[in-house]
Amino acid sequence: MITISVKEWERRKHFVQFEEEDITRLKELLPVVEKQVDKVVEQLYENFEAIPELSRILHAEEGRLEKLKRMQRAYFLQLFEGDYGSDYLNNRLKVGMAHHRINLGVDWYLGAYSMYIRLVMPIILDHYKKDPAKGQAAFASAIKIIHLDQDVAISTYLSAREEVIAEQSEEILELSTPVVQLWDGIVAAPIIGTLDSQRTQLFMERLLQTIVDTKSPVALVDITGVPAIDTATAQHLIDTINAVKLLGSTVVITGVSPSIAQTLVHLGIDLSDILTRSSLAEGLKVALKQLNLVMTTKGA
Amino acid sequence: MYEGSISVIKIRNVLLVTVPPDPDDELINQLQERVLQILDQSKAKGVIMDISTVDILDSFFAHTLVETAKMIALMGGRTIISGMNPSVAVTATQLGLTFGDIDTELDVDSALDRMEASED
Repeated sequence: MITISVKEWERRKHFVQFEEEDITRLKELLPVVEKQVDKVVEQLYENFEAIPELSRILHAEEGRLEKLKRMQRAYFLQLFEGDYGSDYLNNRLKVGMAHHRINLGVDWYLGAYSMYIRLVMPIILDHYKKDPAKGQAAFASAIKIIHLDQDVAISTYLSAREEVIAEQSEEILELSTPVVQLWDGIVAAPIIGTLDSQRTQLFMERLLQTIVDTKSPVALVDITGVPAIDTATAQHLIDTINAVKLLGSTVVITGVSPSIAQTLVHLGIDLSDILTRSSLAEGLKVALKQLNLVMTTKGA
Repeated sequence: MYEGSISVIKIRNVLLVTVPPDPDDELINQLQERVLQILDQSKAKGVIMDISTVDILDSFFAHTLVETAKMIALMGGRTIISGMNPSVAVTATQLGLTFGDIDTELDVDSALDRMEASED
């Protein structure tokens, strides 16, 4: 979950020029908005309920609407309560997380806020109608704190997304390096995508462990799924092959496409010590031969 | 005091050498000495050095293994290293430690098979 430090919060407040006089102005408005809060909340939810997608979210569980209205009321009043320290910040972070939990997209959130501002504006301007300059200043203060709220909410949205992305990248890393036993004494490892050093490390560890676990003298490393090869990837492959050799096993690189063969030669990468074949099937034949195994057609 | 830590067993024509998990430099030096002496006395044809117990292999140990293999070759013997740990192999590769042309096998069984095959 996201946390914003108090220092960071102060920096953001400073940036929108949220100052002592803003706090005073907002506090002054509290008795005014207290009288109007129920009306504002009702109006807001009336607008929300007119939209089928939002209505579904609002009625997703028993009593959610009432709960949300209660929270909305507290939220609204807190804007004018005059305490904008760490408690306020934590409360706003929770609000952002709550939106994320009920799957309310950031577009809905911002749209709703625009309605909010349109409902609040007349209340403030009406209250100061004899002193329009003061009304404007008070409205500006409200805009500042509302902006800060949005700032925090969007930060929580972003960090929730980033968490998902981080989890997925990790999953992809896990998924993309399977090592399977193909036959007694033969393991196969298809590589999909490019090999960077982090993946190589994981791949190498898995391949070596599987070779030892299955006591396999031959390992087929299939690079059919490698779109392009560069010197770094080639070096990672060579490292892996050398490590396998140390275990006492042999690697056959399979799936060397014409374009990869061309690249390897043009880059001057020497794989002449390494057994290579154009397809996994050809590699399997080499492996069977090394193990003195013969496959025949039944009855032939 | 380390004498007992290295074991060199003669099985038919082959010497099987095993080492403790974390050998120090002195022990590694002794390893070379003892293997060569026993090879000389026993007239064995080959040496299998099983390092399956070893979790950490430093450059000195690696170097000594290669060196010993060369000496064994000079004495007319053949060397196979067996049972290297995956983690040791990864580290060795990353450090750029090479074992030259020494043969490697997954375990002592396959190393014995290979020795036998080469004697025929």
